[in-house]
Amino acid sequence: MSTDLGVWVAAFFTLAIFSSLYRDNPVYRFAESLLVGVSAGYYLVQYAYSALYKKLWIPVVQDQDWGLLFGGLLGLLVLGRLHRRTEWLARFAIAFYVAAWAGYLIPSAMKAQVLEQIAGTWLSPAGSVPLGAAVNEVLLLVGVISILVYFYFSREHVGALGVASRLGITFLMLGFGASFGYTIMGRITLLIGRFQFLFDRWLGIGPSSGGV
Amino acid sequence: MPRPWWEHALRLDRRLLFVAVALAVAIPVLFPLGLPVVPGKESRDFFAALEQLQPGDVILFSFDYEADSRAEMDPMTRVVWRYCLGRGVRIIALTNYAGGPGVAEPYIELATKQLGQVYGEDVVFLGYNPDYSGTILRLGESFRATFPADQYGRSTADFPLLQRANRYADTKLIVTIAASSLAEYWTIWAHGKYDAKVIAGATAIQAVHLYPYYQTGQVSGFLGGLKGAAELERLAELPGDATRGMDSQTTGHAVIVLFILLGNVAYFAQRRRKS
Repeated sequence: MSTDLGVWVAAFFTLAIFSSLYRDNPVYRFAESLLVGVSAGYYLVQYAYSALYKKLWIPVVQDQDWGLLFGGLLGLLVLGRLHRRTEWLARFAIAFYVAAWAGYLIPSAMKAQVLEQIAGTWLSPAGSVPLGAAVNEVLLLVGVISILVYFYFSREHVGALGVASRLGITFLMLGFGASFGYTIMGRITLLIGRFQFLFDRWLGIGPSSGGV
Repeated sequence: MPRPWWEHALRLDRRLLFVAVALAVAIPVLFPLGLPVVPGKESRDFFAALEQLQPGDVILFSFDYEADSRAEMDPMTRVVWRYCLGRGVRIIALTNYAGGPGVAEPYIELATKQLGQVYGEDVVFLGYNPDYSGTILRLGESFRATFPADQYGRSTADFPLLQRANRYADTKLIVTIAASSLAEYWTIWAHGKYDAKVIAGATAIQAVHLYPYYQTGQVSGFLGGLKGAAELERLAELPGDATRGMDSQTTGHAVIVLFILLGNVAYFAQRRRKS
């Protein structure tokens, strides 16, 4: 069994959170509130240190990089949201931020998420890939087209359009099912991690692999 | 009149489900079954990118996760660091999460205190920068300008490793272990704009979103969740918590599937009875 206080604290809070599975109780509420409070405090300090101190104070005060004051001013303007009379000031900062993001993202996303993905649906010349890969390519193309047809709402989905639309729904449902299965795997993994911690590090009864 | 079986099934106290899943997950943690782990193509390609690295090559490693995702992400990070450092590959590390430095510290200690690496020459931890978009884009121009100081406040201009490698083009590979859509953004910006080679480790939930990028070759390989981590452990011959965890993953899923089947059979039995 561990003699590390930090491990005992972590084990206590792990079991406190698990206790909510039986029913809501004060121990769970306390653990949940503490998590929110500690997280908020930790992030506040991290952002203050990483952004305000390292990225604004040091460059401006030590290196006389006065251009960064513009960024600091935008940050201050956002705080205008805190009061009804000054909330209009925040719009300047938000507009700058949204415009910058649009500039960063739209060209790059257009290339990576649209153009290259369209190119990815093209079929390879016959005989140039193994049969399995060729079947995958055809399925991919059929799936993409049928899903796009499903999202075409300017005409009623009847006849050939209806058939393609229902095929698109099938592909969508298969995709959602795979995504849901992955989600379950992710959640089970978190539970596995907690049990490994409780058995290995807290109780010392698991066949531990030794951490890092 | 006694209730039919399907009514009991449909009214099962969910706490019994919790207990069943907990037992299915906990027992294999204590008593491993040793079920086989067969690596998939995505994991093999991820590992192949690591295998191609030569001694002295520099990689950029991003800790894009925090404590809440350590169960899935730490096994991937552990294998990448041990494998790369064992082959003489140099690592420039950073994080795009405020909680990332805490996750990264054990690996900096692994490198400098256990594996004898020299900080500043073999490994550097640049730390955390807010605004991942600006960070990922600017790193393509200059690591030192993006991070004038490392996590510990030392000037990055003083590190020999950063004098050798100061932009994506100076590195052989970018490895992002990401608990969010950051792996996509590394692909969109680092690969899309600077043509950097990117491999990604992702949580199971996020792995689904990487398949399109993998299929087009924008991502050279990726790991999906704990299974991906276990596959990497198998390929690198560094068994760890992920391989252990796959037994519990299997039994946990089996119990969930059984309850789903039970629920569906009971539901259709009820419908038939009512009709």
